[in-house]
Amino acid sequence: MSQQVTPEPVPEPQGPAAPDSMKKHQKKSSFVRWMKLLLKSKTGTVGFLIVMVVFIVGIFSDQIAPFGVNEQNYANMLVPPAWQEGGSSEHFLGTDNLGRDILSRIIYGTTISLLVGIFSVVVAGILGMAAGLFAGYYGGWIDTVTMRMVDAFLSIPNILFILVILTVLNPGIMTLIFAIGVTNWVIYARLIRGEVLSVKEREYVKAARSIGTKNLTIIRRHVLPNVFSTFIVISTLSVATTIILEASLSFLGMGVQPPDVSWGYMLADGRDYLATNWWLATFPGLAITITVLGIIFLGDWLRDVLDPRSQGR
Amino acid sequence: MKRFLIQRFLQLIPVLIIMTFIVFSLVYVAGDPVALMLPEEATAEDVARVQESLGLNEPFHVQYGIFLMNAVQGDFGQSYRYNQDAMSIVLERLPATFELAAASMIFATLIAIPMGIWSATRRNTFIDLFITGSSVLGKAMPNFWLGIMFILILAVNTQLFPVSGRGTFMHVVLPAITLGTAVAAEMTRLTRSNMIEILQQDFVRTAKAKGVSNGIVTYKHSFRNALIPVVTIMALQTSTLVGGAIVTEQVFAWPGIGQLLVQAVNARDMAIVQAAVFLIAILVIVINLFADILYRLLDPRIKY
Amino acid sequence: MSNGKELLNVNQLQTHFFTENGAIPSVNGVSFQVNKGELVAIVGESGSGKSVTSLSIMGLVEEPGKIVGGEIMFEDKDLAKYTNKQMRKIRGNDIAMIFQEPLTSLNPVFTIGNQLREAILQHQNVDKATAKKMSIDMLTQVGIPRADKVYSSFPHSLSGGMRQRVMIAMALSCNPKLLIADEPTTALDVTIQAQILELMKDLVKKMDTAIILITHDLGVVAELVDRVIVMYAGQVVEQSDVFSLFKDPKHPYTKGLLDSTPKIQDLNEELISIKGTVPTPANMPDGCKFHPRCPHAMDHCISNEPKLDTLENGREVRCWLYDEEVMADEQSKNGNEQSP
Repeated sequence: MSQQVTPEPVPEPQGPAAPDSMKKHQKKSSFVRWMKLLLKSKTGTVGFLIVMVVFIVGIFSDQIAPFGVNEQNYANMLVPPAWQEGGSSEHFLGTDNLGRDILSRIIYGTTISLLVGIFSVVVAGILGMAAGLFAGYYGGWIDTVTMRMVDAFLSIPNILFILVILTVLNPGIMTLIFAIGVTNWVIYARLIRGEVLSVKEREYVKAARSIGTKNLTIIRRHVLPNVFSTFIVISTLSVATTIILEASLSFLGMGVQPPDVSWGYMLADGRDYLATNWWLATFPGLAITITVLGIIFLGDWLRDVLDPRSQGR
Repeated sequence: MKRFLIQRFLQLIPVLIIMTFIVFSLVYVAGDPVALMLPEEATAEDVARVQESLGLNEPFHVQYGIFLMNAVQGDFGQSYRYNQDAMSIVLERLPATFELAAASMIFATLIAIPMGIWSATRRNTFIDLFITGSSVLGKAMPNFWLGIMFILILAVNTQLFPVSGRGTFMHVVLPAITLGTAVAAEMTRLTRSNMIEILQQDFVRTAKAKGVSNGIVTYKHSFRNALIPVVTIMALQTSTLVGGAIVTEQVFAWPGIGQLLVQAVNARDMAIVQAAVFLIAILVIVINLFADILYRLLDPRIKY
Repeated sequence: MSNGKELLNVNQLQTHFFTENGAIPSVNGVSFQVNKGELVAIVGESGSGKSVTSLSIMGLVEEPGKIVGGEIMFEDKDLAKYTNKQMRKIRGNDIAMIFQEPLTSLNPVFTIGNQLREAILQHQNVDKATAKKMSIDMLTQVGIPRADKVYSSFPHSLSGGMRQRVMIAMALSCNPKLLIADEPTTALDVTIQAQILELMKDLVKKMDTAIILITHDLGVVAELVDRVIVMYAGQVVEQSDVFSLFKDPKHPYTKGLLDSTPKIQDLNEELISIKGTVPTPANMPDGCKFHPRCPHAMDHCISNEPKLDTLENGREVRCWLYDEEVMADEQSKNGNEQSP
């Protein structure tokens, strides 16, 4: 072990992975502590700022957007962005083929992206968590069936499953949330089952069981705190992939339907005008890229902070 | 090895059963395909007759049984739009999708592995920062937008490449890069982190202590070990690749299974949807199986 | 400088690690010599800088570590100034190294033969077939039965002791002038340890190879070497022939190490351990670096750093207890305090 002379900064354990008793003392300062940690990482800070802006835009889209989502203006069709010749400062990112303001539509699209992104992750998280807990905890045939289902879901690209679901249900926001949720649960199920299996073998859980502690109590006290940080990281990064998935489906015409607006849908619209009016397809894609980039930065930072073992991966 | 293969094949059976069950029940829930199949002026008796002939009056489990028996033989019924055997229509499109997927995988591998090694051996330099930054960007860009931007810049504006369709080598370049970018991004990241881990191993130091060149240390001793998990990643990425292909084919009007599937979903052509999903699932499973075997061949520590 | 006998002369070696919190001197002015064919041990706890010293000689200090001062004269060549490319001609050829963990020190995906002949092919102008012959011959020499079979097998199929034999074969395959063995027996079963040490001793005698044995185990030292260098906190604190060191350790740290080694004859006695731990480079004490743990620490030790002094018959020690002036001073002070 004499190789260990290489001095390495030991990552201090921090964050909500700490047991409850510790959290209570630190509640007041924890916000400041998190902020300090955040500012240490450049990408984390950038990610956090992007996500904050996206959230504010998404929540207050009605107040922020200069025009209505489907407000058409036939006098101002296909106006280029403000900095180009023929552009107008009124429509900063230009207008589309029906004279709708692109900036406003992107702002409204933010709300939809966030709605679908977050709620489908919530659905997937709840389903996966339940499945993983039961499979891991009760074992036996429940476990076998669940894990074979996980394998089946993993063997098919999730967009395929969602497409099949979308042939059955009418496309729309609720359908999207449901479809994405019921296909993405497998990630959580696997993670949580694995953790349950390892927790089950620990002495203190065996002890708790032997004195007749209820299963649910054991799960709440011993399993959930252990998976919490991984859960948060996976969920954050899942929101990013889900936003892309939603955009893809809307691009294929099977996601969000008009009069609702989606970045993917705008892109599909804009493709027809690619040769003459480049801005229609460019800006919605940029919006997706920046949003997803922000979430990935934030998620990677969260992983580094919550799980020091995975640093630099 | 033989035992492993048999075991691995047996494991596939429940996966396939569950997969077909899910696909079948969705279509079952989707309801009556007969209405779509018959002309509008068809009478109620006509509908009943067709339902009878298709076995649609049978209870769920009987219908599933029949579906499964037929599926095993590759029979998913007739496509009502083409009036042809659904599986043969899907199989016709397979070469196009295979061409696209293979080209993307080659592109991704050629980019990702050298980049991953490069950034791992020059950790925390500008090059490393650039490569990791690009790979995050590659993950964040939706591939259909990337494809559209390629079309805009390289096909529409400069006319270097054809806008869409399949045929020459030039046709496959943009779709392959579009589809391969996300895979390359993920592979770069994982190659890098694997290499970093392996470069810190004791046996790498042993190799250096022997006085061999940096090239041998990096490419023989380290990469050969890093390759083992990369193979697994490549297999896992085929699923992503196929999913992405559905969208990419749409962007470039590439006549593959993805394009067919999207059309079939829009037209509720259930026979084709089922056949396509089944075929894709089988392919993904088979590729994963190959990766598993390859993994074992690469790592001498695994014994049978 | 060279007197014809001298093989390696490390002079005021400084190896620092550059971290966010500034440079950390892991090796801080280490000097010692090794003669041709001589068996020398560097002894110290983990964190004493003994491994970094050996890696510095090999030119294998990893980023963010760097040799920042001193010289490593090996046959009148200063290895501290060598580029990596120049060092490659030395490594595995003139100076070879054996590492602590035979389990992880061999590459799992290549055969023993592949890894063994690599060094031979690198440094000797022979073809593959000859390299194979030489490798198998080497495996036989380190006492591996059925060497040709082991040649084509993978590391995971060998036991720990066998793997360490392979490592020794690999290190000695190019007939090095110096072999650095970093805790070569620590990871092995006690029953194997003696065999491996015996084997090393036989082979280096036969090949006239010098050894630097890096260890924390004084039992191993007694069995193998001629001379001992004791390191503490990046510095040499004592240097002596092995016989005198065991009979009459000078530095309080050496005494502590000897006291904490179990001896058969006094099993009933309690083992004495040195209190405290090696200070981390970030909070190195002023004065003598050992004084917070030293049972004989004096006022003088707290703020004055001792130099390495030469005592009778070539022994060296870094301690104020052997400085006559200081001792006289301290005694008079204590005398004053105690007198009424």
